[in-house]
Amino acid sequence: MRAGPSQEEIRRHNLGVLLRSVHVHGATSRAELTANLGLNRSTIGALTAELATAGLVTEEIPRDRGRAGRPSLVVRPESEMVYVLAFAIGVDRVTAARVGLGGLVLDRREAPRAPGQAPAEEVVAPLVDLARQMRDLAPAGARHIGTGVAVTPMIRERDGQVRPRAYGSWASDPLSEALTEAIRADVNGDFPIARLGTADLAALAEHTRGVAIGCANVIYLHGDAGIGGGIIAAGRPLTGHGGNGGEVGHMVVNPAGKPCCCGSRGCWETEIGEHALLTAAGRPIGGGAAGIAAVLDAAARGDAEAQTAVRKVGDWLGFGVANLVNIFNPEMVVFGGTLRELYLASAAQVRSRLNRNGLQAYREHVRLRTSALGDDAPLLGAAELAFERLLADPLNDQVTELDSTGTMTAQSGVT
Amino acid sequence: MNGTPTLEIRGLNKSFGPVHVLRDVDFTIHAGQVTALVGDNGAGKSTLVKCIGGIYPMDSGQCIFEGRPVTVNHPKDAARLGIEIVHQDLALCDNLNIVENMFLGRERRSGIVLDELTMERRAAETLASLSVRTVISVRQQVASLSGGQRQTVAIAKAVLWNNKVVILDEPTAALGVAQTAQVLELVRRLADNGLAVILISHNMNDVFAVSDHIAALYLGRMAAQVPATEVTHAQVVELITSGHSGPLGLQSQQKAGSPEGSDDLDLVTDPGKGAQR
Repeated sequence: MRAGPSQEEIRRHNLGVLLRSVHVHGATSRAELTANLGLNRSTIGALTAELATAGLVTEEIPRDRGRAGRPSLVVRPESEMVYVLAFAIGVDRVTAARVGLGGLVLDRREAPRAPGQAPAEEVVAPLVDLARQMRDLAPAGARHIGTGVAVTPMIRERDGQVRPRAYGSWASDPLSEALTEAIRADVNGDFPIARLGTADLAALAEHTRGVAIGCANVIYLHGDAGIGGGIIAAGRPLTGHGGNGGEVGHMVVNPAGKPCCCGSRGCWETEIGEHALLTAAGRPIGGGAAGIAAVLDAAARGDAEAQTAVRKVGDWLGFGVANLVNIFNPEMVVFGGTLRELYLASAAQVRSRLNRNGLQAYREHVRLRTSALGDDAPLLGAAELAFERLLADPLNDQVTELDSTGTMTAQSGVT
Repeated sequence: MNGTPTLEIRGLNKSFGPVHVLRDVDFTIHAGQVTALVGDNGAGKSTLVKCIGGIYPMDSGQCIFEGRPVTVNHPKDAARLGIEIVHQDLALCDNLNIVENMFLGRERRSGIVLDELTMERRAAETLASLSVRTVISVRQQVASLSGGQRQTVAIAKAVLWNNKVVILDEPTAALGVAQTAQVLELVRRLADNGLAVILISHNMNDVFAVSDHIAALYLGRMAAQVPATEVTHAQVVELITSGHSGPLGLQSQQKAGSPEGSDDLDLVTDPGKGAQR
C-alpha cells in the first residue's frame, strides 16, 4: 500500500492547478492566486517561476496600480506562444481555430461543406488545409501542444436528411479516423488527438467559459439536424463508455410516436427535432436552421398553425427536460443550436411541463439558460479538450524540452 | 428567496380622482432575479412601476429599499436609490449617437469641455459587460440602429449608472424573433450580473423564458406573486384573466364562470398594445 502522494506528485499537481487557474480566469496577480488556490505565497512564487521558465506564463508588473505598497506581479498565460488547434465538423461547414493558452482565439477559419455524406477524405482535406494556413501564420517559436476535434458523424438518410449517427461509437467512425490520420500525418507528429461529440464539447465550453461558469452539474442540449446532449456531472464531462454518453435525442418520450432513424420509436428527437416542427407546421421538410427560424417567425407574427406547432413541440421539449432534470439534478440546462430559439419561443410550454413533471426539489434550483458562446461552443470545447493534457501535468510533457526533475532542483527556493 | 429584498412595496394604494387604480398592493423584488409583472390592460402594471419610479406619488403604503424605509416622491429620488425605468418608447434621441444618448444630461466633463474619451470608454465597457456584439461602433447614430439594437442601448443606459433596480416595460414588443431572443438573453444577463429586474410583458413565452418570479395584477390588486417554478402557463393566464387559479390568487374574489383550460388562450400577440400608450 502506498503512503500517500510524494512531494514531487504534489508539486506537479499544484503546477497544474496554477496553470489551469490562469488558463481559465486569465491574467491574475500572485496575491489573488495565493488567496484563490490556498497555497503559500512562496510556493506560488516558486510554481510561477517554473511555469515561466517552461514558457507557459509570463510575469509582469501591473500597469495601473491604484494602491500603496509593492504591486503584486501579474501572472499571464503565454497565449501567443502556446496554442492548440481545434476543429469542428458541423452539418454545413467545417471550422478550424488556433486557440492560445487562456482560451484566446488567435485565428479562426471556416470552409463550407456540402450537407450529407461525403467520403471521409473530402471532409478532412479542407480542414487540413485550414490547419496548415494557420500554422504557417503562427509566430516563430510558438508551440503547438495539442489538437481537439468536435465530431458529428453523419449518416445520409433516404429523405436527404443529415442526422447525427445514433449507433456505433466515435472511435470506429471512418470520418474521425481519417481526420485523425490526416492531422497526425500533416500537422503534428506525436500528440494524441482528443475528440468528442459536438454537444459534449459545447457543454465543456459553456461550463468553462460560457453561461455555465461555476456550475458543476450542467446539461447542454444542442439542436441541429438532430438533438445532441452534453452532460457535465460534478465538474467533469460525462462521456460514458467509449465516449458516447449523452445521446439524449434517443431517449424515448412517446412510445406511440414516429419511427426514428435509430430504429426505435418515439425518440425525443422525433418529437422536438427539425422534422417534427416543420411537419407540425405543415411545411416542407428541409432548410435546416432557416426552416426552423421561418416557423418561429410565422408564430411570432400570429400564424395559428405555426403557433400550434411551436406550442406542441415546446411541450415535448419540456417532457425531455423534466426527465433529465429528474435524473441528473443539474444546476443549469443550456439550450444551444436551433434549440436556443425554439426554447425562447416556447418557454411557457417548456416551463409548464417541467413544473408539472419535474420533482419539486429538483426543478426549484435548475436554471434554464441559452448558450452564451453560440455556434463557436463546440470549437472552443475542442480547444479545452486539447489543453487538458498540458493542464493535467504542465511540465512533464513532450511540450517542454525541460527535464522536469532538473527544473525542480534548479528552481526550488526561488520566490 | 433569500436575503433582504432589494425593494419591497407594502400596502400601496393609488387613486386617480375617483378611480382606485391600485389597492393594497404588496410587491417584492430581489437582487439577481427577474420578476415578471403581468396583468391585463388596465390592471395597474404601469401605474405600479411609475409609483416605484417616483413618477406618481403613492397615496398610501410603504416602500422599503434594501431594508430601509424610503420615500420616493420624484424621479430624482428613484434615480438616487438606483432605480431606472426603460420605457416602452425608449426615450432615445435619434439624432445623437450611442455615447451621447447614454450620457445625455449626465455628461462627464474634464475642465470646461466634455470628457469624450472617458464617456466612450465607459459606454463600450458597459456594452461589452452585457456581451453586446451587435453594435458595431458606439459612435453610431441611434437613428441607424434596428429595434433590437435600440432596446439594447436603452437597457445599457440603465445599467451604466450602477443601478440596482431596472424596470423594463415591454422590451420585446415589436421585435422580430432573432432580436427578441437577444433582448431576452440581455434581460437574463442583467439579473445574472446581480441587478433586480422587473419585466413587464404580455408575452407568456418571454415571461417564462427569463423570470424567476411572476407577479400577476388583477384589477388593481396583486393576485399572486409566485416562483416561476411553481406555476404553469394556464395558471398564470387564469390569474391574469380572473384573479385566481385554484389555491392561488384572490380567494375572496371568486367569481362564477372563470375560464378553464386556458392553455388554448393565446397571449403571444398583444392586440391591446396601441391602446396602452
